[in-house]
Amino acid sequence: MIESLTVLGLESSCDDTAAAVVRLVDGSTPQILSSVVYGQSELHSAFGGVVPEIAARAHAEKLDVSVRQALEQAGVGLDKLDAVAVTAGPGLIGGVMSGVMCAKGIAAATGLPLIGVNHLAGHALTPRLTDRIDYPYLMLLVSGGHCQYLIVHGPQAFTRLGGTIDDAPGEAFDKTARLLGLPQPGGPSVEAEGRLGDPKRFRFPRPLLDRPDCNLSFSGLKTALMRLRDQLVAEQGGLTRQDRADLCAGFQAAIVDTLAEKTRRAMKIYLAENPDTPVLAVAGGVAANASIRSALEEVCGEMGIGFVAPPLRLCTDNAAMIAYAGIELFLAGAHDSMTLSARPRWPLDQNSPALLGSGKKGAKA
Amino acid sequence: MPSDPVVLAFDTSAAHCAAALLVGERIVVARTEDMGRGQAERLFPLLEEILSEAGKTWRDLTAIGVGVGPGNFTGIRISVSAARGLALALGIPAVGIDGFDARNSVTPAGQIVAIPAPREQYYIRPEGAETALVSHAEAALSGPLHTDVSALDLIRAIAVLAASRACATTTPPSPVYVRPADAAPSRDTAPVLLDQ
Repeated sequence: MIESLTVLGLESSCDDTAAAVVRLVDGSTPQILSSVVYGQSELHSAFGGVVPEIAARAHAEKLDVSVRQALEQAGVGLDKLDAVAVTAGPGLIGGVMSGVMCAKGIAAATGLPLIGVNHLAGHALTPRLTDRIDYPYLMLLVSGGHCQYLIVHGPQAFTRLGGTIDDAPGEAFDKTARLLGLPQPGGPSVEAEGRLGDPKRFRFPRPLLDRPDCNLSFSGLKTALMRLRDQLVAEQGGLTRQDRADLCAGFQAAIVDTLAEKTRRAMKIYLAENPDTPVLAVAGGVAANASIRSALEEVCGEMGIGFVAPPLRLCTDNAAMIAYAGIELFLAGAHDSMTLSARPRWPLDQNSPALLGSGKKGAKA
Repeated sequence: MPSDPVVLAFDTSAAHCAAALLVGERIVVARTEDMGRGQAERLFPLLEEILSEAGKTWRDLTAIGVGVGPGNFTGIRISVSAARGLALALGIPAVGIDGFDARNSVTPAGQIVAIPAPREQYYIRPEGAETALVSHAEAALSGPLHTDVSALDLIRAIAVLAASRACATTTPPSPVYVRPADAAPSRDTAPVLLDQ
């Protein structure tokens, strides 16, 4: 049995540049020795979303700085590492490429094994890092860029039960904030505004609930919100604060209801596998939303299964999850050569039919 | 007496993967491969081939030289990120070499270096002025242009300049983009609040 395993992780697939050192002690207990995250929100705020070229430029000059800090904070020299793990996709390719090249440089110079990690696997394995839950568990990955239900069987074995066929909920929250003049990122600002509103005043659709599967759709909600807003503006010449709060509350309620019902369906499929200790875990930035969280907890209570939500700093993008996924992959014997590619698209479940994306670029999810 | 410098230089700022190893005052290996894409996959295997051909290891290096552009944004970032990772892990300086400095050193006197850019444009850096992105016609007004420095000449020049500047280098290499990132502010306009 391996007594101790220490892995450096690098993450740069969206708008956070991150580096972390995670150690597995006694062959089973993971410890986060450091986790450095540099956000780029202020660089993108004027544009109402993440601009890929701006993100790539920032990552290229921040990665080595983050790594240095992560090693310092962990009090670990490069000679004490066992491997270098890096997000190799999916994500914005410019940033992913910078991360992969920086990691290759470190691995080449030190002779350490290089491990390319799927960013989504990083999120999906986080409940094992934080709560040491057993396989197989049900995972709802819900963020600014992704939304899917997965049964996690192992570090490289995922079954996707369903997911969004268009936007991710995080995107829909951001768009809602933009349409209503609320600050970015939209998740927290729409949630805060929604607390002051009446969720029943406006009728929002509950997309795809009429279908028995676990797939979701959020782009129609944005359109519904825009129509309601434009209607109010046409009638009154603008919005009142109450209008805005009610729109936020109604929009959020639609997302909460949809996620709760689809989660119920995903759980039935998962429970049919008879897991010893059934657990639903959530990850991704949208898991920070209190209404979504409590709705999911309620569904778990109803169905008698455990609920795990890692702390927010490990739900949003970070490198500790990449280092930890690297540890699991290392133990499974995985490592990559210096020809490791950065992949903009890289579905976790390679067997299920594509939900999103096709053609030359391949499936997105 | 300090030992001879051993400088590994590389550049992927255009449709090539170029690398050279300088030992002492001599370039001992220089190699370039034309490629439109795939530099991120090819760069490290190429560097390892060059080191082994020269009988050197990563630990023998005293500095890294890297082309920082101007040129292809993604290409520049590939090399700069690699150089920063190597410098961090080897504890040696990574010296960023501007594409104009490198090309000027191999361009005949009286000619003006022009680096090919997309959409019928050149990057030029007239003496005493900032680097600019201009049309072919506008570039030609500056004087006789030198537009086709070979990748081999380029990488040799980067290695030599990096060796001469290694001791004085205190800042990590930064890409030279010249152009700002393409980005337009959000088109969504917020509605008027009636009870502000």
